[in-house]
Amino acid sequence: MSETRRAGRAAARPAIWPWLAPALLLLAAVYLVPILDVVRLAFGDATLLRPTQSYGLDGVGDVLSQPALPGVLWATLVFTAASVAGILGLGLFIALLVVRGETRRLPGMALLRIVVLTAWVVPGIANGLIWQMLFSEAPFGALNSTIALAGLSPVRWLSDPTNAMISAVIANVWQGTAFAMIVLYAARKGLSNDLYAAAAIDGAGPFARFCFITLPQMRPSILVAAVLVTIQTLNTFDVILALTGGGPGRATEVLSLFTFNTVFYNFDLSGGSVLAVILVLIALVLTVLYIRLLVDRADGRP
Amino acid sequence: MTGRRAAWLGDLATYVAAFLLVTLFAGPLLWLVSLAIRTPAEIFLGAARFIPEEPTLANFEQILTDRTFGLYLWNGIKLCALGALGALLTAIPAAFVFSRRSFRGASVLMLGILTVQMVSPLVLLIPLYRYMERLNLLETHAAAAAVYMALGVPLSVWMLKAAFDAIPRSLEEAAAIDGCSAASVLFFVTLPLAAPGMASAFILNMLMGWSQFLVPFVLLSQDRLQPISVAIFNFAGSTSASTTQLLAAACVITVLPAIAAFLALQRLIVGAIMAGAVKG
Repeated sequence: MSETRRAGRAAARPAIWPWLAPALLLLAAVYLVPILDVVRLAFGDATLLRPTQSYGLDGVGDVLSQPALPGVLWATLVFTAASVAGILGLGLFIALLVVRGETRRLPGMALLRIVVLTAWVVPGIANGLIWQMLFSEAPFGALNSTIALAGLSPVRWLSDPTNAMISAVIANVWQGTAFAMIVLYAARKGLSNDLYAAAAIDGAGPFARFCFITLPQMRPSILVAAVLVTIQTLNTFDVILALTGGGPGRATEVLSLFTFNTVFYNFDLSGGSVLAVILVLIALVLTVLYIRLLVDRADGRP
Repeated sequence: MTGRRAAWLGDLATYVAAFLLVTLFAGPLLWLVSLAIRTPAEIFLGAARFIPEEPTLANFEQILTDRTFGLYLWNGIKLCALGALGALLTAIPAAFVFSRRSFRGASVLMLGILTVQMVSPLVLLIPLYRYMERLNLLETHAAAAAVYMALGVPLSVWMLKAAFDAIPRSLEEAAAIDGCSAASVLFFVTLPLAAPGMASAFILNMLMGWSQFLVPFVLLSQDRLQPISVAIFNFAGSTSASTTQLLAAACVITVLPAIAAFLALQRLIVGAIMAGAVKG
Protein backbone atom coordinates (compact mmCIF):
# COMPACT_ATOMS: atom_id res chain seq x y z
CA MET A 1 0.00 0.00 0.00
CA SER A 2 2.75 2.40 0.95
CA GLU A 3 4.45 1.81 -2.38
CA THR A 4 1.43 2.61 -4.50
CA ARG A 5 0.82 5.62 -2.32
CA ARG A 6 4.34 6.86 -2.87
CA ALA A 7 3.96 6.35 -6.59
CA GLY A 8 0.70 8.27 -6.46
CA ARG A 9 2.34 11.13 -4.65
CA ALA A 10 5.15 11.29 -7.15
CA ALA A 11 2.60 11.56 -9.94
CA ALA A 12 0.88 14.38 -8.09
CA ARG A 13 4.15 16.26 -7.85
CA PRO A 14 4.59 18.36 -10.93
CA ALA A 15 7.66 20.35 -11.76
CA ILE A 16 7.36 23.59 -9.86
CA TRP A 17 8.47 26.35 -12.21
CA PRO A 18 6.06 25.87 -15.12
CA TRP A 19 3.22 26.29 -12.64
CA LEU A 20 4.66 29.45 -11.17
CA ALA A 21 5.79 30.96 -14.45
CA PRO A 22 2.58 32.75 -15.55
CA ALA A 23 2.14 34.57 -12.25
CA LEU A 24 5.82 35.37 -11.79
CA LEU A 25 6.33 36.58 -15.36
CA LEU A 26 3.27 38.83 -15.15
CA LEU A 27 4.39 40.27 -11.82
CA ALA A 28 7.89 40.81 -13.18
CA ALA A 29 6.55 42.63 -16.25
CA VAL A 30 4.14 44.87 -14.36
CA TYR A 31 5.99 45.41 -11.08
CA LEU A 32 9.67 44.58 -11.21
CA VAL A 33 10.65 45.97 -14.62
CA PRO A 34 8.72 49.24 -14.20
CA ILE A 35 10.21 49.83 -10.75
CA LEU A 36 13.74 49.37 -12.08
CA ASP A 37 12.86 51.56 -15.05
CA VAL A 38 11.59 54.33 -12.79
CA VAL A 39 14.93 54.33 -10.99
CA ARG A 40 16.72 54.57 -14.34
CA LEU A 41 14.45 57.38 -15.54
CA ALA A 42 14.97 59.28 -12.28
CA PHE A 43 18.62 59.78 -13.12
CA GLY A 44 17.98 60.89 -16.68
CA ASP A 45 16.40 63.91 -18.33
CA ALA A 46 13.51 62.34 -20.22
CA THR A 47 10.16 63.99 -20.72
CA LEU A 48 6.94 62.28 -21.77
CA LEU A 49 7.61 63.57 -25.30
CA ARG A 50 11.35 62.86 -25.56
CA PRO A 51 13.49 59.93 -24.35
CA THR A 52 16.46 60.28 -22.04
CA GLN A 53 19.44 62.02 -23.66
CA SER A 54 21.85 62.14 -20.76
CA TYR A 55 22.10 60.77 -17.26
CA GLY A 56 23.23 62.57 -14.16
CA LEU A 57 22.26 63.91 -10.80
CA ASP A 58 21.23 67.38 -12.04
CA GLY A 59 17.61 66.37 -12.55
CA VAL A 60 17.42 64.86 -9.08
CA GLY A 61 18.75 68.09 -7.58
CA ASP A 62 16.27 70.14 -9.60
CA VAL A 63 13.33 68.14 -8.32
CA LEU A 64 14.47 68.12 -4.71
CA SER A 65 15.07 71.89 -4.73
CA GLN A 66 11.60 72.69 -6.12
CA PRO A 67 9.98 75.33 -3.93
CA ALA A 68 6.72 73.35 -3.88
CA LEU A 69 8.26 70.16 -2.50
CA PRO A 70 8.49 71.01 1.24
CA GLY A 71 4.80 71.96 1.25
CA VAL A 72 3.87 68.75 -0.56
CA LEU A 73 5.85 66.62 1.88
CA TRP A 74 4.28 68.44 4.82
CA ALA A 75 0.77 67.90 3.39
CA THR A 76 1.61 64.22 2.86
CA LEU A 77 2.81 63.87 6.45
CA VAL A 78 -0.23 65.61 7.92
CA PHE A 79 -2.70 63.73 5.72
CA THR A 80 -1.08 60.35 6.41
CA ALA A 81 -0.57 60.81 10.14
CA ALA A 82 -4.07 62.15 10.76
CA SER A 83 -5.68 59.47 8.56
CA VAL A 84 -3.79 56.62 10.19
CA ALA A 85 -4.59 57.89 13.69
CA GLY A 86 -8.26 58.33 12.76
CA ILE A 87 -8.59 54.99 10.98
CA LEU A 88 -6.87 52.99 13.73
CA GLY A 89 -8.63 54.80 16.57
CA LEU A 90 -12.08 54.49 15.04
CA GLY A 91 -11.42 50.97 13.75
CA LEU A 92 -10.30 49.77 17.18
CA PHE A 93 -13.26 51.48 18.84
CA ILE A 94 -15.79 49.85 16.49
CA ALA A 95 -14.10 46.44 16.73
CA LEU A 96 -14.25 46.51 20.54
CA LEU A 97 -17.79 47.88 20.50
CA VAL A 98 -18.95 45.04 18.24
CA VAL A 99 -17.20 42.44 20.42
CA ARG A 100 -18.81 43.92 23.54
CA GLY A 101 -22.22 43.87 21.90
CA GLU A 102 -21.71 40.28 20.79
CA THR A 103 -20.62 39.03 24.21
CA ARG A 104 -23.67 40.77 25.71
CA ARG A 105 -25.77 39.21 22.92
CA LEU A 106 -27.13 42.58 21.86
CA PRO A 107 -28.93 42.45 18.53
CA GLY A 108 -27.90 44.78 15.71
CA MET A 109 -24.10 44.51 15.96
CA ALA A 110 -23.87 42.75 12.60
CA LEU A 111 -25.70 45.71 11.06
CA LEU A 112 -23.11 48.14 12.42
CA ARG A 113 -20.31 46.04 10.93
CA ILE A 114 -22.01 45.83 7.54
CA VAL A 115 -22.69 49.58 7.41
CA VAL A 116 -19.03 50.36 8.12
CA LEU A 117 -17.93 47.85 5.49
CA THR A 118 -20.31 49.34 2.94
CA ALA A 119 -18.31 52.58 2.98
CA TRP A 120 -15.21 50.51 2.26
CA VAL A 121 -16.47 49.13 -1.09
CA VAL A 122 -17.39 52.57 -2.43
CA PRO A 123 -14.94 53.33 -5.25
CA GLY A 124 -12.40 55.96 -4.19
CA ILE A 125 -13.35 58.38 -6.92
CA ALA A 126 -17.04 58.17 -5.93
CA ASN A 127 -16.01 58.65 -2.31
CA GLY A 128 -14.35 61.95 -3.24
CA LEU A 129 -17.38 63.09 -5.23
CA ILE A 130 -19.84 62.12 -2.48
CA TRP A 131 -17.91 64.05 0.14
CA GLN A 132 -17.59 66.97 -2.23
CA MET A 133 -21.38 67.14 -2.29
CA LEU A 134 -21.51 66.84 1.50
CA PHE A 135 -18.91 69.56 2.02
CA SER A 136 -20.44 71.78 -0.66
CA GLU A 137 -20.14 75.38 0.48
CA ALA A 138 -23.33 76.45 -1.27
CA PRO A 139 -26.09 77.41 1.16
CA PHE A 140 -27.86 74.15 0.25
CA GLY A 141 -24.76 71.96 0.80
CA ALA A 142 -25.42 68.97 3.06
CA LEU A 143 -23.36 69.92 6.09
CA ASN A 144 -23.76 73.66 5.78
CA SER A 145 -27.53 73.49 5.42
CA THR A 146 -27.68 71.08 8.37
CA ILE A 147 -25.71 73.33 10.69
CA ALA A 148 -27.76 76.27 9.40
CA LEU A 149 -30.86 74.49 10.77
CA ALA A 150 -29.08 74.60 14.14
CA GLY A 151 -28.52 78.31 13.66
CA LEU A 152 -24.76 78.11 13.03
CA SER A 153 -22.94 80.01 10.32
CA PRO A 154 -21.59 78.11 7.29
CA VAL A 155 -18.10 76.59 7.34
CA ARG A 156 -15.64 76.88 4.44
CA TRP A 157 -15.06 73.14 4.27
CA LEU A 158 -13.05 73.08 1.06
CA SER A 159 -11.92 76.62 0.30
CA ASP A 160 -10.01 77.14 3.54
CA PRO A 161 -6.60 75.38 3.43
CA THR A 162 -6.75 73.92 6.96
CA ASN A 163 -10.39 72.87 6.65
CA ALA A 164 -9.72 71.30 3.25
CA MET A 165 -7.08 69.06 4.83
CA ILE A 166 -9.46 68.11 7.64
CA SER A 167 -12.18 67.37 5.08
CA ALA A 168 -9.85 65.17 3.04
CA VAL A 169 -8.85 63.25 6.17
CA ILE A 170 -12.52 62.76 7.12
CA ALA A 171 -13.35 61.37 3.67
CA ASN A 172 -10.34 59.03 3.82
CA VAL A 173 -11.11 57.86 7.36
CA TRP A 174 -14.74 57.23 6.41
CA GLN A 175 -13.59 54.77 3.78
CA GLY A 176 -10.49 53.31 5.41
CA THR A 177 -11.87 52.48 8.86
CA ALA A 178 -13.50 49.22 7.76
CA PHE A 179 -10.17 47.56 6.97
CA ALA A 180 -8.70 48.36 10.39
CA MET A 181 -11.97 47.30 11.99
CA ILE A 182 -11.86 43.83 10.40
CA VAL A 183 -8.20 43.22 11.22
CA LEU A 184 -8.61 44.39 14.82
CA TYR A 185 -11.92 42.59 15.28
CA ALA A 186 -10.24 39.32 14.24
CA ALA A 187 -7.34 40.04 16.61
CA ARG A 188 -9.66 40.77 19.54
CA LYS A 189 -11.65 37.61 18.86
CA GLY A 190 -8.37 35.70 18.99
CA LEU A 191 -7.66 36.77 22.58
CA SER A 192 -8.34 34.17 25.24
CA ASN A 193 -11.10 34.94 27.73
CA ASP A 194 -8.99 33.63 30.63
CA LEU A 195 -7.16 36.91 31.02
CA TYR A 196 -10.44 38.83 31.23
CA ALA A 197 -11.88 36.30 33.67
CA ALA A 198 -8.80 36.62 35.88
CA ALA A 199 -8.99 40.42 35.69
CA ALA A 200 -12.66 40.32 36.66
CA ILE A 201 -11.81 38.24 39.74
CA ASP A 202 -9.16 40.80 40.65
CA GLY A 203 -11.81 43.49 40.36
CA ALA A 204 -10.35 45.32 37.33
CA GLY A 205 -12.75 47.83 35.78
CA PRO A 206 -13.38 48.22 32.04
CA PHE A 207 -10.76 50.93 31.67
CA ALA A 208 -8.09 48.89 33.47
CA ARG A 209 -8.96 45.84 31.36
CA PHE A 210 -8.58 47.93 28.21
CA CYS A 211 -5.21 49.40 29.26
CA PHE A 212 -3.64 46.30 30.78
CA ILE A 213 -5.10 43.44 28.76
CA THR A 214 -6.68 44.51 25.47
CA LEU A 215 -4.08 47.04 24.31
CA PRO A 216 -0.91 45.08 25.18
CA GLN A 217 -2.35 41.80 23.87
CA MET A 218 -3.46 43.41 20.62
CA ARG A 219 -0.29 45.41 20.14
CA PRO A 220 1.18 43.18 17.37
CA SER A 221 -2.04 43.33 15.34
CA ILE A 222 -2.39 47.07 15.86
CA LEU A 223 1.16 47.59 14.58
CA VAL A 224 0.54 45.42 11.51
CA ALA A 225 -2.67 47.30 10.78
CA ALA A 226 -0.85 50.62 11.29
CA VAL A 227 1.80 49.78 8.69
CA LEU A 228 -0.75 48.56 6.13
CA VAL A 229 -3.01 51.58 6.62
CA THR A 230 -0.01 53.92 6.32
CA ILE A 231 0.94 52.39 2.97
CA GLN A 232 -2.65 52.55 1.71
CA THR A 233 -2.97 56.19 2.78
CA LEU A 234 0.34 57.13 1.22
CA ASN A 235 -0.86 55.68 -2.08
CA THR A 236 -4.25 57.42 -1.84
CA PHE A 237 -4.86 59.48 -4.88
CA ASP A 238 -8.37 59.32 -6.27
CA VAL A 239 -10.20 60.53 -3.15
CA ILE A 240 -8.15 63.72 -2.97
CA LEU A 241 -8.24 64.28 -6.72
CA ALA A 242 -12.05 64.14 -6.72
CA LEU A 243 -12.57 66.00 -3.45
CA THR A 244 -10.16 68.94 -3.60
CA GLY A 245 -7.97 68.36 -6.65
CA GLY A 246 -5.05 69.13 -4.32
CA GLY A 247 -6.31 72.61 -3.53
CA PRO A 248 -7.00 75.22 -2.41
CA GLY A 249 -3.60 76.22 -3.75
CA ARG A 250 -1.45 73.24 -2.82
CA ALA A 251 -2.98 72.70 0.64
CA THR A 252 -3.97 69.08 0.01
CA GLU A 253 -1.53 68.16 -2.74
CA VAL A 254 0.03 64.99 -1.33
CA LEU A 255 3.09 63.29 -2.81
CA SER A 256 1.17 60.84 -5.03
CA LEU A 257 -0.92 63.63 -6.56
CA PHE A 258 2.15 65.84 -6.98
CA THR A 259 3.94 62.96 -8.76
CA PHE A 260 0.97 62.41 -11.05
CA ASN A 261 0.79 66.11 -11.94
CA THR A 262 4.53 66.29 -12.58
CA VAL A 263 4.45 63.41 -15.07
CA PHE A 264 1.08 63.68 -16.74
CA TYR A 265 0.42 67.43 -16.67
CA ASN A 266 3.94 68.86 -16.85
CA PHE A 267 5.26 65.93 -18.95
CA ASP A 268 8.34 65.92 -16.72
CA LEU A 269 9.05 62.20 -16.82
CA SER A 270 12.42 62.20 -15.07
CA GLY A 271 11.26 64.61 -12.39
CA GLY A 272 8.16 62.53 -11.74
CA SER A 273 10.35 59.44 -11.59
CA VAL A 274 12.47 61.01 -8.85
CA LEU A 275 9.28 61.58 -6.85
CA ALA A 276 8.13 58.04 -7.64
CA VAL A 277 11.42 56.69 -6.32
CA ILE A 278 10.78 58.60 -3.08
CA LEU A 279 7.34 56.93 -2.91
CA VAL A 280 8.93 53.51 -3.48
CA LEU A 281 11.58 54.13 -0.82
CA ILE A 282 8.98 55.09 1.78
CA ALA A 283 6.92 52.01 0.85
CA LEU A 284 10.07 49.88 1.06
CA VAL A 285 10.89 51.05 4.58
CA LEU A 286 7.31 50.41 5.67
CA THR A 287 7.33 46.99 4.02
CA VAL A 288 10.51 45.93 5.81
CA LEU A 289 8.85 47.05 9.04
CA TYR A 290 5.75 45.06 8.12
CA ILE A 291 7.69 41.87 7.42
CA ARG A 292 9.62 42.19 10.67
CA LEU A 293 6.34 42.57 12.53
CA LEU A 294 4.94 39.49 10.80
CA VAL A 295 8.02 37.44 11.60
CA ASP A 296 7.93 38.59 15.23
CA ARG A 297 4.29 37.63 15.46
CA ALA A 298 4.90 34.23 13.88
CA ASP A 299 7.61 33.63 16.50
CA GLY A 300 5.11 34.42 19.20
CA ARG A 301 7.10 37.30 20.58
CA PRO A 302 5.02 40.28 21.66
CA MET B 1 -27.94 44.67 41.68
CA THR B 2 -25.37 47.39 40.99
CA GLY B 3 -23.55 45.06 38.58
CA ARG B 4 -26.73 44.60 36.59
CA ARG B 5 -27.36 48.30 36.55
CA ALA B 6 -23.82 48.96 35.31
CA ALA B 7 -24.24 46.36 32.59
CA TRP B 8 -27.53 47.97 31.54
CA LEU B 9 -25.88 51.39 31.36
CA GLY B 10 -23.06 49.81 29.36
CA ASP B 11 -25.57 48.37 26.91
CA LEU B 12 -27.22 51.75 26.56
CA ALA B 13 -23.85 53.40 25.90
CA THR B 14 -23.06 50.68 23.35
CA TYR B 15 -26.26 51.43 21.47
CA VAL B 16 -25.74 55.19 21.59
CA ALA B 17 -22.24 54.77 20.15
CA ALA B 18 -23.48 52.26 17.56
CA PHE B 19 -26.24 54.66 16.51
CA LEU B 20 -23.79 57.54 16.07
CA LEU B 21 -21.44 55.30 14.07
CA VAL B 22 -24.21 54.05 11.80
CA THR B 23 -25.21 57.68 11.20
CA LEU B 24 -21.62 58.59 10.37
CA PHE B 25 -21.07 55.70 7.98
CA ALA B 26 -24.50 55.42 6.37
CA GLY B 27 -25.23 59.17 6.38
CA PRO B 28 -23.15 60.14 3.33
CA LEU B 29 -24.72 57.38 1.23
CA LEU B 30 -28.24 58.25 2.39
CA TRP B 31 -27.59 61.88 1.52
CA LEU B 32 -26.39 60.78 -1.92
CA VAL B 33 -29.61 58.85 -2.49
CA SER B 34 -31.61 61.80 -1.21
CA LEU B 35 -29.94 64.09 -3.78
CA ALA B 36 -30.40 61.56 -6.56
CA ILE B 37 -34.20 61.43 -6.14
CA ARG B 38 -34.78 65.17 -5.86
CA THR B 39 -36.06 67.58 -8.43
CA PRO B 40 -33.69 70.47 -9.18
CA ALA B 41 -35.91 72.77 -7.13
CA GLU B 42 -35.59 70.60 -4.06
CA ILE B 43 -31.79 70.42 -4.37
CA PHE B 44 -31.70 74.08 -3.41
CA LEU B 45 -33.59 73.39 -0.19
CA GLY B 46 -30.64 71.49 1.31
CA ALA B 47 -31.06 69.54 4.53
CA ALA B 48 -34.63 70.74 4.99
CA ARG B 49 -35.61 68.29 2.23
CA PHE B 50 -33.53 65.31 3.29
CA ILE B 51 -36.64 63.30 2.50
CA PRO B 52 -37.89 64.93 -0.72
CA GLU B 53 -41.54 65.87 -0.91
CA GLU B 54 -41.66 65.10 -4.61
CA PRO B 55 -39.26 62.17 -5.01
CA THR B 56 -38.50 61.37 -8.63
CA LEU B 57 -36.69 58.71 -10.60
CA ALA B 58 -36.26 61.06 -13.55
CA ASN B 59 -32.57 61.57 -12.77
CA PHE B 60 -31.85 57.85 -13.00
CA GLU B 61 -33.93 57.66 -16.15
CA GLN B 62 -31.96 60.47 -17.75
CA ILE B 63 -28.61 58.89 -16.82
CA LEU B 64 -29.54 55.34 -17.78
CA THR B 65 -31.07 56.23 -21.11
CA ASP B 66 -27.95 58.19 -22.05
CA ARG B 67 -26.16 55.98 -24.57
CA THR B 68 -22.62 56.96 -23.63
CA PHE B 69 -23.40 56.27 -19.98
CA GLY B 70 -24.41 52.72 -20.83
CA LEU B 71 -21.13 52.42 -22.67
CA TYR B 72 -19.18 53.56 -19.58
CA LEU B 73 -20.96 50.95 -17.47
CA TRP B 74 -20.19 48.26 -20.01
CA ASN B 75 -16.54 49.34 -20.21
CA GLY B 76 -16.29 49.17 -16.42
CA ILE B 77 -17.79 45.69 -16.26
CA LYS B 78 -15.67 44.46 -19.15
CA LEU B 79 -12.39 45.72 -17.72
CA CYS B 80 -12.92 44.44 -14.21
CA ALA B 81 -14.35 41.08 -15.32
CA LEU B 82 -11.45 40.46 -17.71
CA GLY B 83 -8.97 41.57 -15.07
CA ALA B 84 -10.52 39.41 -12.35
CA LEU B 85 -10.74 36.36 -14.60
CA GLY B 86 -7.18 36.79 -15.82
CA ALA B 87 -5.86 37.25 -12.29
CA LEU B 88 -7.63 34.11 -11.14
CA LEU B 89 -6.38 31.98 -14.06
CA THR B 90 -2.82 33.19 -13.53
CA ALA B 91 -2.95 32.71 -9.79
CA ILE B 92 -4.50 29.21 -9.70
CA PRO B 93 -1.45 27.16 -10.79
CA ALA B 94 0.89 29.25 -8.64
CA ALA B 95 -1.32 28.97 -5.57
CA PHE B 96 -1.68 25.21 -6.14
CA VAL B 97 2.06 24.71 -6.16
CA PHE B 98 2.54 26.97 -3.13
CA SER B 99 -0.11 25.01 -1.29
CA ARG B 100 0.91 21.47 -2.24
CA ARG B 101 4.65 21.52 -2.63
CA SER B 102 7.32 22.68 -0.25
CA PHE B 103 10.38 23.91 -2.08
CA ARG B 104 13.31 26.15 -1.40
CA GLY B 105 12.38 29.79 -1.61
CA ALA B 106 8.64 29.20 -1.42
CA SER B 107 8.10 31.41 1.61
CA VAL B 108 10.38 34.13 0.24
CA LEU B 109 8.44 34.10 -3.04
CA MET B 110 5.10 34.25 -1.24
CA LEU B 111 6.34 37.18 0.82
CA GLY B 112 7.68 38.83 -2.34
CA ILE B 113 4.29 38.46 -4.02
CA LEU B 114 2.66 40.01 -0.96
CA THR B 115 5.03 42.96 -0.80
CA VAL B 116 4.93 44.06 -4.44
CA GLN B 117 1.41 45.23 -3.65
CA MET B 118 2.86 47.92 -1.43
CA VAL B 119 4.11 49.79 -4.48
CA SER B 120 1.63 52.39 -5.66
CA PRO B 121 0.12 51.68 -9.09
CA LEU B 122 1.00 55.28 -9.88
CA VAL B 123 4.72 54.42 -9.78
CA LEU B 124 4.17 51.47 -12.11
CA LEU B 125 2.06 53.48 -14.51
CA ILE B 126 4.83 55.95 -15.32
CA PRO B 127 6.91 53.36 -17.23
CA LEU B 128 3.86 51.28 -18.22
CA TYR B 129 2.42 54.27 -20.03
CA ARG B 130 5.56 54.46 -22.15
CA TYR B 131 5.68 50.71 -22.82
CA MET B 132 2.06 50.74 -23.95
CA GLU B 133 2.75 53.77 -26.09
CA ARG B 134 5.66 52.03 -27.81
CA LEU B 135 3.62 48.85 -28.30
CA ASN B 136 0.76 50.90 -29.71
CA LEU B 137 -1.46 49.63 -26.92
CA LEU B 138 -2.53 52.95 -25.46
CA GLU B 139 -6.27 53.42 -25.86
CA THR B 140 -6.95 49.68 -25.82
CA HIS B 141 -8.95 47.72 -23.30
CA ALA B 142 -6.51 44.82 -23.62
CA ALA B 143 -3.67 46.85 -22.13
CA ALA B 144 -5.79 48.27 -19.32
CA ALA B 145 -7.25 44.85 -18.49
CA ALA B 146 -3.75 43.35 -18.41
CA VAL B 147 -2.75 45.88 -15.75
CA TYR B 148 -5.96 45.22 -13.77
CA MET B 149 -5.07 41.55 -13.99
CA ALA B 150 -1.52 42.01 -12.71
CA LEU B 151 -2.74 44.19 -9.84
CA GLY B 152 -5.10 41.39 -8.80
CA VAL B 153 -2.61 38.53 -8.90
CA PRO B 154 -0.91 38.98 -5.49
CA LEU B 155 -4.16 38.98 -3.54
CA SER B 156 -5.51 36.09 -5.62
CA VAL B 157 -2.44 33.92 -5.00
CA TRP B 158 -2.72 34.44 -1.26
CA MET B 159 -6.47 33.86 -1.11
CA LEU B 160 -6.36 30.77 -3.32
CA LYS B 161 -3.46 29.28 -1.40
CA ALA B 162 -5.50 29.64 1.79
CA ALA B 163 -8.48 28.02 0.03
CA PHE B 164 -6.37 25.11 -1.27
CA ASP B 165 -4.72 24.65 2.14
CA ALA B 166 -8.15 24.02 3.64
CA ILE B 167 -8.84 21.10 1.27
CA PRO B 168 -7.76 17.69 2.59
CA ARG B 169 -5.02 16.12 0.52
CA SER B 170 -6.39 12.60 0.85
CA LEU B 171 -8.84 13.15 -2.01
CA GLU B 172 -6.11 14.37 -4.31
CA GLU B 173 -3.89 11.47 -3.36
CA ALA B 174 -6.66 9.03 -4.15
CA ALA B 175 -7.12 10.61 -7.57
CA ALA B 176 -3.37 10.50 -8.17
CA ILE B 177 -3.27 6.80 -7.31
CA ASP B 178 -5.99 6.29 -9.88
CA GLY B 179 -3.58 7.72 -12.39
CA CYS B 180 -4.66 11.36 -12.64
CA SER B 181 -1.96 13.78 -13.72
CA ALA B 182 -1.26 16.78 -11.51
CA ALA B 183 -3.19 19.02 -13.88
CA SER B 184 -6.27 16.83 -13.84
CA VAL B 185 -6.09 16.50 -10.06
CA LEU B 186 -6.12 20.28 -9.85
CA PHE B 187 -8.89 20.59 -12.42
CA PHE B 188 -11.25 17.82 -11.33
CA VAL B 189 -10.61 17.49 -7.59
CA THR B 190 -9.13 20.63 -6.08
CA LEU B 191 -10.85 23.40 -8.02
CA PRO B 192 -14.44 22.17 -7.51
CA LEU B 193 -13.76 21.86 -3.79
CA ALA B 194 -12.19 25.33 -3.69
CA ALA B 195 -15.18 26.96 -5.43
CA PRO B 196 -16.16 29.20 -2.47
CA GLY B 197 -12.59 30.47 -2.11
CA MET B 198 -12.34 31.10 -5.84
CA ALA B 199 -15.66 32.91 -5.83
CA SER B 200 -14.58 35.25 -3.07
CA ALA B 201 -11.24 35.90 -4.77
CA PHE B 202 -13.07 36.66 -8.02
CA ILE B 203 -15.54 39.02 -6.33
CA LEU B 204 -12.80 40.84 -4.42
CA ASN B 205 -10.90 41.28 -7.68
CA MET B 206 -14.06 42.59 -9.33
CA LEU B 207 -14.59 45.07 -6.49
CA MET B 208 -11.00 46.26 -6.74
CA GLY B 209 -11.30 46.60 -10.49
CA TRP B 210 -14.59 48.47 -10.25
CA SER B 211 -12.88 51.00 -7.95
CA GLN B 212 -9.85 51.28 -10.18
CA PHE B 213 -9.43 54.83 -11.39
CA LEU B 214 -5.78 55.55 -12.05
CA VAL B 215 -5.10 52.78 -14.58
CA PRO B 216 -7.89 53.70 -17.03
CA PHE B 217 -7.36 57.42 -16.34
CA VAL B 218 -3.76 57.14 -17.53
CA LEU B 219 -4.01 54.47 -20.24
CA LEU B 220 -7.34 55.44 -21.81
CA SER B 221 -8.03 59.00 -22.77
CA GLN B 222 -10.76 58.46 -25.37
CA ASP B 223 -14.17 59.08 -23.94
CA ARG B 224 -15.78 56.02 -25.53
CA LEU B 225 -13.26 53.64 -23.91
CA GLN B 226 -13.55 54.87 -20.37
CA PRO B 227 -15.06 52.93 -17.48
CA ILE B 228 -17.64 54.43 -15.20
CA SER B 229 -15.15 55.50 -12.51
CA VAL B 230 -13.33 57.84 -14.90
CA ALA B 231 -16.58 58.91 -16.54
CA ILE B 232 -18.17 60.20 -13.33
CA PHE B 233 -15.01 62.12 -12.52
CA ASN B 234 -15.11 63.81 -15.92
CA PHE B 235 -18.85 64.34 -15.54
CA ALA B 236 -18.30 66.02 -12.14
CA GLY B 237 -15.89 68.44 -13.78
CA SER B 238 -18.57 69.52 -16.24
CA THR B 239 -21.50 69.83 -13.83
CA SER B 240 -22.79 72.81 -11.93
CA ALA B 241 -25.13 73.25 -8.95
CA SER B 242 -28.16 72.88 -11.21
CA THR B 243 -27.15 69.36 -12.23
CA THR B 244 -26.11 68.06 -8.80
CA GLN B 245 -29.02 65.62 -8.82
CA LEU B 246 -27.72 64.03 -12.04
CA LEU B 247 -24.22 63.64 -10.66
CA ALA B 248 -25.70 62.09 -7.52
CA ALA B 249 -27.74 59.64 -9.60
CA ALA B 250 -24.62 58.73 -11.60
CA CYS B 251 -22.72 58.15 -8.35
CA VAL B 252 -25.51 55.94 -7.00
CA ILE B 253 -25.37 53.86 -10.17
CA THR B 254 -21.58 53.55 -9.79
CA VAL B 255 -21.66 52.64 -6.13
CA LEU B 256 -24.68 50.35 -6.14
CA PRO B 257 -23.23 47.31 -8.00
CA ALA B 258 -20.22 47.25 -5.66
CA ILE B 259 -22.37 47.44 -2.54
CA ALA B 260 -24.84 44.87 -3.88
CA ALA B 261 -22.08 42.39 -4.76
CA PHE B 262 -20.49 42.96 -1.39
CA LEU B 263 -23.72 42.52 0.58
CA ALA B 264 -24.61 39.35 -1.32
CA LEU B 265 -21.27 37.77 -0.53
CA GLN B 266 -20.19 39.62 2.59
CA ARG B 267 -19.82 36.51 4.76
CA LEU B 268 -17.51 34.93 2.23
CA ILE B 269 -15.50 38.10 1.70
CA VAL B 270 -15.18 39.09 5.35
CA GLY B 271 -14.25 35.50 6.19
CA ALA B 272 -11.50 35.55 3.58
CA ILE B 273 -10.12 38.88 4.77
CA MET B 274 -10.24 37.79 8.40
CA ALA B 275 -8.46 34.53 7.58
CA GLY B 276 -5.78 36.61 5.88
CA ALA B 277 -5.65 39.06 8.77
CA VAL B 278 -5.28 36.38 11.43
CA LYS B 279 -2.56 34.61 9.52
CA GLY B 280 -1.00 37.93 8.61
